Parts: sequence; structure tokens; C-alpha cells
Amino acid sequence: MSTSARTDIFARLRHAAGSAGEDVLARRDELGHAPPPALPAEDLAEAFLCNVLRNRGSIDTAADRSAAVKAVGRYVYQHYRSQRLVAGNDPRLAAMPWRDAGVLPRFGALESGEAVALSFARLGVAELGAAVTWTGKGNPAVNNLLPEHHIVLVDVDDLVATMEDAWQRMADAMREQGRPRGVNFIAGPSSTADIEGQLVYGAHGPRHWHVILLGETAPDTGQRARERAAGS
Amino acid sequence: MESTSDRFLLNASEALRDTPRAQRRDVMAAFTPLIRNAAVEGFAAFEATRQHVKRVRQHSLDNLAFYLGQFEHEAVQNGMRVHFARDAGEMNSTVLDICQQHGARRVAKGKSMVTEETGLNDFLQDAGLTVRETDLGEYIIQEAGETPSHIVGPALHKSADEIRDLFLQKHDLGERELAATGDMVDEARQVLRRQFLDAEVGIIGSNALIAENGYSMLVTNEGNGDLCANLPPVLVICTTIDRVLPRAEDAAAMLRLLVRSATGQAQTCYTSYYSGPRRAQDPDGPLETHIVLLDNGRSDILEGDYREMLECIRCGACLNHCPIYSSVGGHAYGWVYPGPMGSVLTPLLTSLEASAALPNACTACGRCAEVCPADIPLPDLLRDLRAQESEQRIDAARWRLGLRMHAWLARQPRLYRALTSLAMTLLHRLGHRRGAFRRLPLASGWTGQRDFPVPQGKTFMQRYRQRQREH
Ligand code: SF4
Repeated sequence: MSTSARTDIFARLRHAAGSAGEDVLARRDELGHAPPPALPAEDLAEAFLCNVLRNRGSIDTAADRSAAVKAVGRYVYQHYRSQRLVAGNDPRLAAMPWRDAGVLPRFGALESGEAVALSFARLGVAELGAAVTWTGKGNPAVNNLLPEHHIVLVDVDDLVATMEDAWQRMADAMREQGRPRGVNFIAGPSSTADIEGQLVYGAHGPRHWHVILLGETAPDTGQRARERAAGS
Repeated sequence: MESTSDRFLLNASEALRDTPRAQRRDVMAAFTPLIRNAAVEGFAAFEATRQHVKRVRQHSLDNLAFYLGQFEHEAVQNGMRVHFARDAGEMNSTVLDICQQHGARRVAKGKSMVTEETGLNDFLQDAGLTVRETDLGEYIIQEAGETPSHIVGPALHKSADEIRDLFLQKHDLGERELAATGDMVDEARQVLRRQFLDAEVGIIGSNALIAENGYSMLVTNEGNGDLCANLPPVLVICTTIDRVLPRAEDAAAMLRLLVRSATGQAQTCYTSYYSGPRRAQDPDGPLETHIVLLDNGRSDILEGDYREMLECIRCGACLNHCPIYSSVGGHAYGWVYPGPMGSVLTPLLTSLEASAALPNACTACGRCAEVCPADIPLPDLLRDLRAQESEQRIDAARWRLGLRMHAWLARQPRLYRALTSLAMTLLHRLGHRRGAFRRLPLASGWTGQRDFPVPQGKTFMQRYRQRQREH
């Protein structure tokens, strides 16, 4: 049945809209690109963090990896008075100086009863205030979706301005590493407005989303992002 | 889904008598345009992006066979199994076959208007499966045994009190009262977590298919669609052939328009792209992934005069800005797609005869075309459908409808407010065509109904603008 449905549909489409020529892709490229969206700040890090805040995420900055693990430890302790968290088998996470913060994640997929998961994003997209992860060993999908608190580390070198930039970088990576099963752009804690249009956080996924920007940024980038987000 | 579009006027009349719901619709009608406008004003490139996306959409539709073929090829490369379905029945039985091959008994579903169109839930349930909607809005209406009233917020017609009562009645809550909205969301979260973990098959829809890399885009705020796509061992994506876009960057451009138009956000929480089963080293994810590509009338639309309707991105903005939708609500339209987009789509996907009132449910105010991110000239398409009705002499029905409409119009001041222009156009046209305006039995209708409303001093649009200024 499926073959004939396929044949049938393609025949109808060719009839309705003829051209199947080789110049389709050339004409596609002539379409050009969408106008780039404006960012809330000139500095990419500030723009990214500002949009994370607008998406109701919380932010922190860490100049180096030691500061980053301390920021993770602080966050977990603040919320749970414990040091427990889970992280995917991402070599970049495994290589972090966890001893500096007195925390050591359990590496793997989140299991029931575990409340905090840590991901290392592939990219941060300033335009959206979104962190991008790929499904797989380095970041099992449940680590994004099932914790109460989702902490995401984003390296400043992995920041891009727009979605187009993000796809360009990912296309390069996919050529080398193959396409992942899933690409997730995460921009905020899970939410719903399905009851009388009232926004509630923690619909199915995390109730809290915490982004730590790792690497050299201009002084007070976090503070300026906060002021900018508060002013909007 | 079974259509009751032929009863639009009666449905509408009933809806208007439900005062609390009508009042809630008023609130939504005042509120949703404001947040959409704020989001669009905060995005200076909106108009330029709209024009760019329109060119891209036209190009994709002009070459749909090419891009659908490219998508299929890439998706298969990624490990997807690709199925085609000519009509609703073929989609439903393809999905049932997949479930049965895996001995599945429980299905977890993300929001999908396409499966509402095909009536997939009933079909699977009749075959003995348990189907659980997991989007909060869809979950609520499934528990209540209702149909969606809005393509983005399917349960917005229900009050928090109604939803609380529903949960109290359906769930074993013990002492809990679910006083706050957050408590109700929590309750659904607890109930549905188990359903995700138990389901053997997850079903989701798609906001766009990307030809160059074979990914299907899913845009949500709750994360339920992503749970459906990641937890059950089998994933089925149900969508239609017209969703294909050439490049990932085209999906990105479209997304910028979609989120702002749909919810007034600059960005939704989750935008995900899926293609294929778990890879060799992956610790999680479905073992088998299918996509079912439905035609169900789209190739006909592609060939005809209403092709632009295929450029619709299902944002719901035209519903939120429509005075008729705001007055009578989504259920009155009698099928899956309400509001202006539904009044065009329903006749095209079902039949003009059975939904003849819908193209007339338009005040020609033009708000929908103004806000439509796909730049679809909805009022023009509705006018063309009306012209087609008159060519095809779907007149007797219209004559009857005109009279019935007037009968309830005369009893409903709210309705009068919203529909004056529609009724007048219709009556004028009837009178003009038949030369019998003065002899229409309307006068007796009026005199028989002493409570015919005194016409408001202002037109609808004047009132509408005034309300916008007041807020
Ligand atoms: S017709 Fe336009 S405004 Fe209406 S749902 Fe479709 S894209 Fe949105």
C-alpha cells in the first residue's frame, strides 16, 4: 500500500507543480538568507546572557574551569544542601577539575530520584538565549528533560549570534561526526500557558534552568546582562 | 474528526448563550493581540522576514516533489522509515500497523492537529490501544471528552475552575485541593510522567521538515513532545507533505515568525530536530523511528486557486485576531481548524457544501491578513470561496442559512455586535440577487422578536480599536 501511496502522491505533485529540474537548488540559493535579527547587545556574551534571563533562566559566569565547577557546586548546594548531580559522558565534563569544588557528578543518564543534571552545550545562540545539545552519550536526552534543575555550561568560544550560524557550525560537525538522532535548542525552564493563558513553569521538564558561561568575558558581563534584561 | 461545520450557525448560537465562556473569549481577544504585537514590535526584521519566508515557501511548494523526495532520501539516510498516506484512513492504519508490529498497548502523544484531522486517537482506541495525550491542553480536553477549540491552546475555552473540577472528578487526589493553577499543572505532570515511562510508542507532529538534512522540527514550551520523542522505544511522526522546507536556515527564519505570532514569546523553551533511531553509542532514545507523510487533499489544493493556504504555519494568530472566532469560539466551526484559516481549510479539506457557512463567517475586517506571518490573504480566499459557492449554486443552503442566521441574530446582542457586517452583506447579496429584499420574511422576524437589539452607535472596528487603546 505504501509504495502505491508514495507513487501516487509524487505523481500528483509533479502534475500540480511541474519542475523537477536540476536548477531547483540553484534557484533555492538565489533566495538568499533571512535578514539577521538584532541582538540586545553588541557583545555576544552579554546578548546571550540577557536573552537567557529573558527566557527565565538564571545565569552565572566563570572565567576558567575551576571557577565553573565551583559555580556548579555552589548552585547545587544552594538548592539541595547536597553535592549530588548527574552529567552525560562528555569528555569535556570528565576533564573538569571537580576536586576544586568538592563535587563529582555521576556520569550517565538521569535516573528517577535524581534532581539535578548538568550538560555541556555544543553551542549557545545569542539571538535566542538558547543552549544547543545533541542527543547521545555526551548528553542523554533525559538529562535535559527530566531533572528539576537543569544546569548548562556554555563555553564563550561556542557562542554564535544567530540560528543560521548555529546550523552552519553544526553542518560542519555533522560532516565529521555524522548526524545525531536529535538536536535540542533549550531556551528556558519548561512552561505552559494552557490553563487560562497563565504562564506556569515546570510543565513536564525542568522547573529551573541555570546557565554558566565559561571563559574570558569582559568584566561585569553578567551584571550588564542583568541590567539590560531588567530594563526590557 | 467528524465535522459539524454544516451546523456552524447553530453551534455559534449555542456558544453565544454560554455567557461565562463568551466573557473569557472577550478577555483572550483583548489579551492575545497585545502580547503578539509586543513580540512583533520587539523584532524589527519581522516584515522583511515575512517576505523572505513567503518567497521560500512559494519556492518549496513550486518544487514540492523535488523537496519531498530530498527529505525522504535524507531521512532514510538517518535511519527513519518513511511512509506516505493518501488519506486519513491510510495514515491511521499505517500507525496502527506500526503499533501492532511491536505489540504496543500504550501510546503517548504530543500535540498534533494532523492526527485530530484523521481521527487517529479514536481509531487506535477502537483497536484496543490506550492513547494518552500529553500536552497539558490536549490532556485536559481528552479527560473531558472534548475537541480542541484552538490550534495552539486547545483547552483555552475551559476555566481554571472547570479544569479543577475535572481533575477532582477524574483523579484520586486525597486531601489535595489544587487551589492554584500551578497545583493543577503539577498534578498533570505527576500523572503524565508515568504515562511517558509506560508508553511503547510515542507519536508527535512536526512544525517543519528540512529537506537538506532530513530532520523534523518540533516546537514546544512544555517539553512533552520531546518526552514522547525520546522515552518510548518506538517513535512515529505524523505530519503532512506541505511541511517541507529546503534548508535548516529556512526553518530558522520561519521559527522567528511562528513563536512571536503564536504565543508572543521571542523564543519557545524547546525547539528540537529529530531524525532516525538511537545511534550506535547512544544510551537512550527510540530504537525505531517512523514518519508518516499525509496528503489528504493537499495535492489538490496545490493544484488549485487556494495554493497560498498551504503556506500556513499554524500559528493561530488569525484566530486570536478574528472578531467572529472571538465571539463564537473554536468549537462552533465544527472541525479541527477554526477561525479564518479554518474557514478556508475546512471547505478545501472536507467539502464546500458541508461547510458553506464558514466562508461567510467573515466581517472583512482584514485583521487576519494583517497579522498572518505567512502573509496569506485570508479575506480574499474567503471571498473567492463565497464566489465559488454562488457559482456552484450552493444557494438554497445559503438562503436557509441566511434566514437561520437572522433568526438567532435577532435574539443575540453579542452576535449582532460582531456579525453585523456579515449579516448585512449576506442579506444585501440575497436581496440583490433575488430582487426580493423588501419581501424577505425578515420584517416579520423582526417584529416577532421584540428584543431586536438597538444598533450600537459604532461599528465593530471602531469599538475594537477603542478597546485596544483602553488596554
Ligand atoms: S493562516 Fe496565517 S495567521 Fe492563520 S494560523 Fe496560518 S499562518 Fe497563522
